[in-house]
Amino acid sequence: MRAGMTGYILKRLLLIIPTLFGVAVLIFLLLRVVPGDVVEARYMGQGGQFQSQEQMQLERKKLGLDQPMWKQFTTWMAGIARLDFGLSMWTGSPITEEIKLRFALSLQLAIMASTVATLLAIPLGILAAIKQDTWVDYAVRVFSIAGLAMPSFWLGILMILCMLIIFKWLPPMVFTPFWVNPWENLAQLFWPALAVGYRYSAVGTRMMRSAMLEVLREDYIRTARAKGLWMKLILSRHAMKNAILPVLTIISLEFAFLLGGLVVTEQVFNLNGLGMLFVEAIARRDYTLTQALVMLVATTFLIVNFAVDIAYAWLDPRIRYR
Amino acid sequence: MAVTPQTVEDLAHAGRSRGGWWSVVADFIRRRPLGAIGAAIILVMVFLAATAELIAPYDPLATDYAAMLAAPNKTHWLGTDAYGRDVLSRMVYGSRTALMVGLGASLLGAVFGSMIGVASAYFGGRVDLVVQRVMDVFFAFPVIILALAVVAVLGTGAGNVILAIATPMIPRCARVVRASALSVREMPYVDAARAAGFVHSRIILRHMLPNVMAPILIMATAFLGEAILLEASLSFLGLGVTEPTAAWGLMLRGAAVEFAESAPWMAVFPGLAISLAVFGFNLFGDSLRDALDPRLRTQ
Amino acid sequence: MRQIVRLFALAAAAALSLASIAQTPRSGGELVFPVPSEPPSYDGHREETFGLIHPFAPFYNTLLRVDPNDTGGTKPAPSLAESWTVSPDSKTYTFKLRSGVKFHDGSEMTSKDVKASYDKIIFPPAGVGSTRQGQYAVVEAVEAPDAYTVRFRLKYASASFLASLLSPYNFIYKADTLAKDMNWYEKNIMGTGPFTFVEHVKGSHVVGKKNANYWDQGKPYLDGFRAIFMPSSSAQVAAVRAERAHIQFRGFSPKDRDTLKAALGDKITVQESPWDCILMVGINHEKKPFDDKRVRRALSLALDRHEASKSLSQIAIVKAVAGVQVPGTPFATPPEELNKLAGYWTDAAKSRAEARRLLKEAGVPEGFSFTFTNRGVPMPYEPLAVWMIDQWRQIGLNVKQEVLEGAAYFTPLRTGGTQVHMDFQCGYIVEPDLDMYKFLSTSRNPANYGRYSDPVLDDLYDKQSRATNVEERKRLVRQFEKRLLDEEAHYLMTLQWHRIIPHSSKLKGWTVTPSHYLNNTLDTVWLTQ
Repeated sequence: MRAGMTGYILKRLLLIIPTLFGVAVLIFLLLRVVPGDVVEARYMGQGGQFQSQEQMQLERKKLGLDQPMWKQFTTWMAGIARLDFGLSMWTGSPITEEIKLRFALSLQLAIMASTVATLLAIPLGILAAIKQDTWVDYAVRVFSIAGLAMPSFWLGILMILCMLIIFKWLPPMVFTPFWVNPWENLAQLFWPALAVGYRYSAVGTRMMRSAMLEVLREDYIRTARAKGLWMKLILSRHAMKNAILPVLTIISLEFAFLLGGLVVTEQVFNLNGLGMLFVEAIARRDYTLTQALVMLVATTFLIVNFAVDIAYAWLDPRIRYR
Repeated sequence: MAVTPQTVEDLAHAGRSRGGWWSVVADFIRRRPLGAIGAAIILVMVFLAATAELIAPYDPLATDYAAMLAAPNKTHWLGTDAYGRDVLSRMVYGSRTALMVGLGASLLGAVFGSMIGVASAYFGGRVDLVVQRVMDVFFAFPVIILALAVVAVLGTGAGNVILAIATPMIPRCARVVRASALSVREMPYVDAARAAGFVHSRIILRHMLPNVMAPILIMATAFLGEAILLEASLSFLGLGVTEPTAAWGLMLRGAAVEFAESAPWMAVFPGLAISLAVFGFNLFGDSLRDALDPRLRTQ
Repeated sequence: MRQIVRLFALAAAAALSLASIAQTPRSGGELVFPVPSEPPSYDGHREETFGLIHPFAPFYNTLLRVDPNDTGGTKPAPSLAESWTVSPDSKTYTFKLRSGVKFHDGSEMTSKDVKASYDKIIFPPAGVGSTRQGQYAVVEAVEAPDAYTVRFRLKYASASFLASLLSPYNFIYKADTLAKDMNWYEKNIMGTGPFTFVEHVKGSHVVGKKNANYWDQGKPYLDGFRAIFMPSSSAQVAAVRAERAHIQFRGFSPKDRDTLKAALGDKITVQESPWDCILMVGINHEKKPFDDKRVRRALSLALDRHEASKSLSQIAIVKAVAGVQVPGTPFATPPEELNKLAGYWTDAAKSRAEARRLLKEAGVPEGFSFTFTNRGVPMPYEPLAVWMIDQWRQIGLNVKQEVLEGAAYFTPLRTGGTQVHMDFQCGYIVEPDLDMYKFLSTSRNPANYGRYSDPVLDDLYDKQSRATNVEERKRLVRQFEKRLLDEEAHYLMTLQWHRIIPHSSKLKGWTVTPSHYLNNTLDTVWLTQ
């Protein structure tokens, strides 16, 4: 059993490497196909008519943009091997410095949103399954799909307007890390976590409901239902384990995308997170920063994927031998 | 009573049998009221999109600065926007843009995704492994970032937006279809077809594809909703469809946010339209999945 | 006798102070303001964005500054230079520097610091960026004959040289630091300004603290300031509305102003001014049929600017009908004359008929289609584009808009791939030399994406640049404007931007100017309580 497990772990780990490489190549090429470069974005932004072309060419040289593509790629790869992620082309500061604070915010937001999603999805899904095809079921499904259907920025705008007009209150404008001041921190992040979590709970609720339905159909549950003991059995370990697992899978898979994908939410709630950084980096053609961000999100996604795969394999030995 | 349809083939069969399509539809409405509501919403949207020229009272592009920012009244049922354009007309034409973008992206994503997924499952082995890795690579990008990158490469505008939205959809569809196709591949008739020496393409197209139609259909309806939302987000960021096109996402941008308090009709109605459309597609897709998924039979 | 004089003096002083008590600046308080964008570096000589000025200008001084009380934003005032003289031939400018000015690290500022800073701006060594170098082409040399004198020797007399010294970007750096590392100031801050640098958290905020040893005794009044980076304009408005921020120094839209006024009433004071920013329509002269000036004139005639001034000013940050200079400034053409130019006629119907006639004469068919390339910035690019496309529709042109975001915008412009595009210009001071430079022939100014060559225009520019007589200069500027906008219609001006600054009524000592780059040293600002 152990040997099969280790072999499986190794096999999955090894598969991560070519995927990461593929991501690196894709984003590298994609960025260089996009018209415009960082020097142009920086100097032409306000008119730039007194700026000379020679200056701009010198800047390009400094940033290494005049080198052939394969050389730029290998320089970048070599840097990663040394765990040196390079400097941002826009500010010239180390990328780790640029990402640090934004990563802390986005990570916390992703965790909080996932928690909200889980806390909503599981009970609602169970409820909808137990009361299938009744008005309770319909109400739950309408509620969760409504969350999915509303544009996130619309919801965000409405939330902020409500807070302003009704409560005359605004969340903190600046991010305070949790360990510095937990109240300020939560006061800022609670609302976007709620909005985002509500949206993501929809998928989880649907999954929980169908998983629960499957569990409910099993014969022993049916008999127990007839005997009136169904509540206890449903909530038994076996039933819960089988039902909750797919929900947790879905939510954890979405987690990685919550890191860099909350572009519009961050803009509406004015959060200094990775999503905004992403959009700015692409707009400024900051190749090194964009590449680093993409690799960060991809790595997180693949690691979470990996963890989920391992968890599944550990729980269901049959998978290991496929 | 009519046999409860379990697959698309069953549906088709039921349609052709006694009672015909109407009994299938009536049955659907009775048994799945939510799905029926969803379908109704979709039909209204399609109707509006098709008959926009007849229904819309004004030209969606016609500005009228004298009547700018007017509240809903007799001449402009849903009010006017910052340039004096009729909100109702823009909403009606907007459904056309939404459907075009949604359908276009969804179809593109579903078609290419399922082709890749089925082929990958069918050929298996190394082909499968490579294709999976490539799909994983695209999968690792957050949806909106990938769409953003494609827009950055191709530029804005309706056509490019369709491509930009379809791109992240393809690997997602491929993954789901592949899972389905894997189980189909083990079916006896596929083996038989192979033994009989049929060409790969024929087996894929005639034997495997029809049997994975159900998940593809469900995916496509879910994608439609996603696509409409994604277009709204991209337009909100200024990277989607361009002015002066009438598009719901575009209507939510800029002036709508600014005037959210004093002229809320500018933001409320397009937002509502988007929500309703996505809502409808999801409800319908949900019920479709319930109907076609054999594991959820309650009878 | 002495007693009476003393009593009288005391009484006078008491009366004066009673009278001025309402206006006496109060010391203390922290100013909070949102900044829409973050600059890539701290070096003012390199950057062009207001995102640098708003949070970082308070740490520095410049040689001269624009008088903070001048609403026109053109009057020079002393800063590090106490006074100055101009030689009779206008080719030498001599500045007398203040003594006792200290950098934040305690060292004294002398003429060698000013010379080193200006050498960096005007004669940067290879590899050192100076974005406005081209503005100082007239400078022969910068000299520092003694510790408190700086002399600029020019190649020829220039009417705009003093104005170019008023640039808020020309921070005075330490000569010793520059000698060691010319790029030090990109990542570090060391100035003589009214505030000292406390911290900059990337993507979040910048904090400055009062400089207790500031050379201008009694100033600054504030204890400090906090600049918070907020890209979203609705978030900025929300911050001011919730009274968490006092002011946003760039400008809000008319709607935002109305919302704030409605929500906060007297707690909000609104200051408005025409803005030294304008969007203009650039036309690629190399693409047919735009090489025909009749077509270009028609495009301008189709735009009913007077009507737009009324309607668009309600939803966008534009207002005044303008030529090449901000209306109301010394060299701006008065309306009676301006309205004679093509596109400025008050009779819109006549204008459109003439436009149609010109198109027909030039052989442009009805329903002719072309692409208008616009920048992906919402305000006011979008509303202006929507307006113009609609106006052109009314003379039978079918215009498609192509919106390019960010850096993608400049590529087709540079390579001549566009037909008609939206161009822009923002200046830190209203000065014909600076405002009209853009329109010179492309051979002289490669950043002129119109791709045309007009030696007559260039000649007019040079003449007005060297004109020392103000009336003569005005005449030449008007001639330039007429040729640019009417005879040749190389560019089409849209509407002048309009700067609207609703701010907390607690904020005093700040006057709006036409430039959002000016008046940001924050030394005159104070807060009531």
